[in-house]
Amino acid sequence: MSKLEYMDKYPQNTTTKGFILKGMWVTLKTMVRTTLPGRRPMTIQYPYEKEVIPDNYRGRPGLVMNKCIGCGICAKICPTTCIEIIEIDHPELGKVKRPQVNLGRCMMCGYCAEYCPKDAMVVTPEYELASYTRKGLIFDPYELQWDAVPGNEVHMEEVLASEINDPNAKYKAYYDLDRPEADDSKCIGCGRCAKTCPASAIEMIVVGKNEKGKDIKRPKFDGDLCVACEQCVDVCPKSCIELKEVL
Amino acid sequence: MYDLYSFSKDIVDLILWIVCGILRTVLNINSFCDWLESDNVVGVLVYIIQAVVIFAAIFIVCLTMIWQERKTLGRIMDRRATQVGPLGYFQNLADGMKTMVKEIIIPDSADRMAYDWAVTIVIGTGVLLAGMVPLSDRFFLADYGTGLLIIFAIFSLAPFAILIAGWAQNNKYTLIGGMRACAQMISYEVPMLMILVATVLLAGSLNINDIVAAQQDSTWFFIPQILGLFTFLVAAVAEAERIPFDLPEAEAELVEGWQTEYGGMRWGLIMLGDYFRGYVAASLGVIMFFGGWDGPYLPPEIWFLIKVFIIFFGMIWVRGSLHRIRTDQILNIGWKRLLPLAILNLLVVVTLKVWGVY
Repeated sequence: MSKLEYMDKYPQNTTTKGFILKGMWVTLKTMVRTTLPGRRPMTIQYPYEKEVIPDNYRGRPGLVMNKCIGCGICAKICPTTCIEIIEIDHPELGKVKRPQVNLGRCMMCGYCAEYCPKDAMVVTPEYELASYTRKGLIFDPYELQWDAVPGNEVHMEEVLASEINDPNAKYKAYYDLDRPEADDSKCIGCGRCAKTCPASAIEMIVVGKNEKGKDIKRPKFDGDLCVACEQCVDVCPKSCIELKEVL
Repeated sequence: MYDLYSFSKDIVDLILWIVCGILRTVLNINSFCDWLESDNVVGVLVYIIQAVVIFAAIFIVCLTMIWQERKTLGRIMDRRATQVGPLGYFQNLADGMKTMVKEIIIPDSADRMAYDWAVTIVIGTGVLLAGMVPLSDRFFLADYGTGLLIIFAIFSLAPFAILIAGWAQNNKYTLIGGMRACAQMISYEVPMLMILVATVLLAGSLNINDIVAAQQDSTWFFIPQILGLFTFLVAAVAEAERIPFDLPEAEAELVEGWQTEYGGMRWGLIMLGDYFRGYVAASLGVIMFFGGWDGPYLPPEIWFLIKVFIIFFGMIWVRGSLHRIRTDQILNIGWKRLLPLAILNLLVVVTLKVWGVY
């Protein structure tokens, strides 16, 4: 491309007019803009002043101790498997299961807060997490505690794959998509699912008596309380419970 | 007039009065005190005090210029700049401390003698030049008749030392940088000298005091030689090796140019020497075009420094705005653009002088 063709193609080219003065005008404007009283440069003096961060900033995960039911969905969904459910002895709540987060591995994606059925896991605006030891990075449930303000919770709602093209499709939360169902022929009525269920959505119902005169019990699932955490599925000794899509 | 000499003499007298008083009355040493108070010794002491005062003054001015450059560049780039101390003024001292404690690494293949002496000449001429520029008609070390000519002569000594320094480090980048520095500085020296001739013609003297006095009598000299002012500023930026004429140390092409193999405090002093040369370039512009220390109300030294800082601000502004000039254009600009402009400027001045306007 010859010089003239280039200038025809790019008439606003800096080489055509005022090519030194243009640049100097830009820098002068910037200098005046940043120096005038009441104005300032873009840079923030980090240790002394901090950037204003939005309410839904995704810093480290936080835990609302009272809301949590210990269902373990956060531990299952975590992409870096940094969450572990441990048993703690809480002065008010007694022996409960709560998540513990290894922040050295956490990538602040906020999935735990998105999938939490009770909004107990929240995203906090805290991002200064440096520690002198690796152990200091593992936050137990007490360190994780956070007084949630509205905006800290994150909700994610999905639409079923089969309804993706349907304009009237209802958006549902993750824990509303599936519900457990028991296979009566396999069930031995041991009741472990009812003991394990963190949301106490399973009730053992007497359906009859066997030849020895003992009660035959079968689980009954309460769809409103259930959070689809799959703990009953995992714990069932005869693998008779499975999650089925709610259609 | 109460000038720097009288000031230094007062200080020396005070010191001698205290020292000799103690020696005479307490220790009863008379002959040594007589020697101390003889004219020759007092004269030497006065010169030493004068030199120290001048050096301190230009050193502080250069630190302020570095601070000014870093701050202004920061604002031009929409960021904050130096942070240490009030308004970031002590950042330079912190950097000086840092370079001072750095390890000195000298390449094996370097020519030790040239390596050391060449850089000494570069820095030394910079400081000497800065010391030769008077801040006012009462703040100077010596009032010599050929003022500007000597300053220009020493100003043009540096390219040779830079060439030797680049050669002595035995490195391809330094060698190319030294060659470029030499070619560039010699070619930009000529237009500067042509403008000096014009100014000297207008003022009728080479003495700096006389040049400033001539501007006080008529007008500041940038009015008749506006062409010369433009040419001089471009050539001065090139002489001080600053962007956009920093080809000798083009970081993108030659690591650090002719200074590549210098480290630690040597490099720090080279940087400081660059600012001494920048100060001299700016103050030459002030003396030749903007009436030196001429100005109302404020003390003349303050006026001089204000003008120097304003001209230096222009240099910083250009540095923040423009990119480096292409290698093959640099000598073209010097010889084909600036030299004809300088000669045109000389013609204008001669015409004005013949018509008797000045």
